[in-house]
Amino acid sequence: MHPMTCPYVTQLIAQASKVLGQPDFPKVGGAKAAMSPSAPESSAAEVPESGSATATGHRVVVPGGCDAMRRLGDQLAFLYPGRVFVMHVPRSSEPRAVSLFAGELARLRSWLCTPSTGHGEERTINPPAVHYPRPPKAGGVFLIAGPVSDSSLLELIYRLGADVAGLESCTSPDRWQLLLKEGGESLPGSEVEYRELAARLLQLGMCPRRSTEERLAYLRQRLQETRASSVIYARQSFCDPGAYDALGTAELCRELDLPYLELEVDFPFDSSGPLRTRIEAFLEAQLLDESLLDDDLFANIDNNLFADTDG
Amino acid sequence: MPGLDNIGGDSISASLVRAAFLAQTRLRAFQYRTARRYMDYHALSASLELFKPGAIVPWVSYLFPTELLTAYQLTPLIPEVAAATLMGSELRQTLEAALTRLPLARDVCSYHRTALAAVENNLLPAPTLCLGTTPLCLGKECLLEMLAIRHGVPFREIKVPSPPDEGEASPQVVSEVAEQLRELHEEIGRLTGRKSELKKAIVLSNRASAAWGKIMAERMAGRLELDGRRTFAIVFLGQLLWGTEEGAKDFERLLSERGRRDVLIPTPPPGQKLKKLLWLHTVPHHDHSLFELIRERRAVVLFEEMGQMHMNVIDPDNPFSGLARRLTDNVLWGSSARRARLNVALAKHLRVDGVVHFNHWGCRHGLGSVPVLQVAFREAGIPFLAIDGDALARGGPEHERSRQALESFLELL
Repeated sequence: MHPMTCPYVTQLIAQASKVLGQPDFPKVGGAKAAMSPSAPESSAAEVPESGSATATGHRVVVPGGCDAMRRLGDQLAFLYPGRVFVMHVPRSSEPRAVSLFAGELARLRSWLCTPSTGHGEERTINPPAVHYPRPPKAGGVFLIAGPVSDSSLLELIYRLGADVAGLESCTSPDRWQLLLKEGGESLPGSEVEYRELAARLLQLGMCPRRSTEERLAYLRQRLQETRASSVIYARQSFCDPGAYDALGTAELCRELDLPYLELEVDFPFDSSGPLRTRIEAFLEAQLLDESLLDDDLFANIDNNLFADTDG
Repeated sequence: MPGLDNIGGDSISASLVRAAFLAQTRLRAFQYRTARRYMDYHALSASLELFKPGAIVPWVSYLFPTELLTAYQLTPLIPEVAAATLMGSELRQTLEAALTRLPLARDVCSYHRTALAAVENNLLPAPTLCLGTTPLCLGKECLLEMLAIRHGVPFREIKVPSPPDEGEASPQVVSEVAEQLRELHEEIGRLTGRKSELKKAIVLSNRASAAWGKIMAERMAGRLELDGRRTFAIVFLGQLLWGTEEGAKDFERLLSERGRRDVLIPTPPPGQKLKKLLWLHTVPHHDHSLFELIRERRAVVLFEEMGQMHMNVIDPDNPFSGLARRLTDNVLWGSSARRARLNVALAKHLRVDGVVHFNHWGCRHGLGSVPVLQVAFREAGIPFLAIDGDALARGGPEHERSRQALESFLELL
């Protein structure tokens, strides 16, 4: 991978390669390889090293929502023909986008149903686990991020004495939801059902790669409902949607008169060192602002001034 | 003394600056009388109209079918072309200063950062509408939509599904894209209040396509050898002129020896043969040292990936399908495997000695496909080199590394 690639994508390709085993190194435009049986539960997180050296029967689905993910999917599909599905994910949820995405979901289902040979060792892969260490509190700092590997950014805010009003990240706790009720709904079959599923899925992830207009409206609503006191944007390096999203968020914060801090972060997230210092300084500056604006403080100053005059 | 930074507005000085800027290019066109020089002049002339007060300024993506605009006598503003042009002008310093102040991540594509810095500092006219296409990259869609929101103007996007790795996009896909183009064409008319002359624009575009298609066919057959670097400039600027009378004439000029004499490859000394290269992706616009090195090492860029545009004519009575097909099956769109397949076939057909991929700064679309290209060319036994650089930069440590890598590559060839 080129060093100017989003580090999350770089991690994903390494993990996916472990799942898929040795590449087949196909000829360009070569024949499609035989399908393999079991579909992975997820492909986004740590995979044990044990499966790395051998070819497995697993398959990988890559939601190509941005150029880096699309190219990640391309690379995997090239190395493991027939075992990787690159799904095109639209940016907006307008009817035509929903329709295109519904088609992609139908294509995915038919790909997953293709009979195959071979067998892969069964394993469960968990996505990056991000959770609120404490319940979000209105009036706290609002965090916006691309993919974060764990909850250490939130923990850092708490350790520095501030509260968290909310988190909007590609790996936010609310991103992981079942699209179909367990044991209840059946898989979609008709075009209408695929459209419904597509619309639901597109509503779920109002992430930085979504249409700027929809995303900004969503962020505005989140900042207002959580009564955020300030915003920290942990922007993933080499992420185009994140870069433009951060720019839009900064303007939104100016409009809402919210202090804003933008940080460039890596994946996995490292909360030590300069990052910690910058967040600390940002939070301290706010505390300082609050104490300077405190009525009592001004009252004391006024009293002293009068005292001097009297004297 | 007013300079180029006074290029916008309706003041007398702004008009004079525009006229002076244009006069230099016109003079060169009249002196040389080549397609390339005329294209410089006509592209600049049309673009300067966008700076006049009250002008309708459509910011569009690089692959946007500009015939939809020329049908309404509109000139597109393509951020990549605008950024490259400004960085080659005396505005470069002003723009570089603006770039250092721009609060957008530095790892974003430099074409897009530069275009944003330029419009924020009144070096480019603000958009009246923003029109995107999902090909080629997501970054420019983010830029266009963000600009539309900032300036309170409409943003529309043509959604183009990725073509299959082998073969053409299905008729159903082409028809869906054609329908989007048809709707957008009507909407542009509503938004601008102008009457469309689409058929006329398509006929003019076809004249240019017929000429360009013939030139490309001659190149593919080995009967005509053009310098890929210089030809790239023609295609790049030509994006502004499809569907115009000037564009048709300029592409047709390439059909004559005189009109193309400044894009022909140099004749090698007697008894010597030039090494032939295929160039992938964009080029460094204002730093010629890589190409000077290629020339010094007796090599030549014989063909450029991005020149493969608009080589077929479109039915003027049913233009949307043809315009849609250009998008769905564009050689630069689709998966990395498709790109690799097409370029390996191209390299084999042209019998080039090596292939160079220019890793443009911040281009996830281009950079992301390099690993697949590397494997594909290795398997095909064709030497391949990927060099890092910034299409808008001049010099710098990264450029020096790339120069060294290219030097070694050319020696190995």
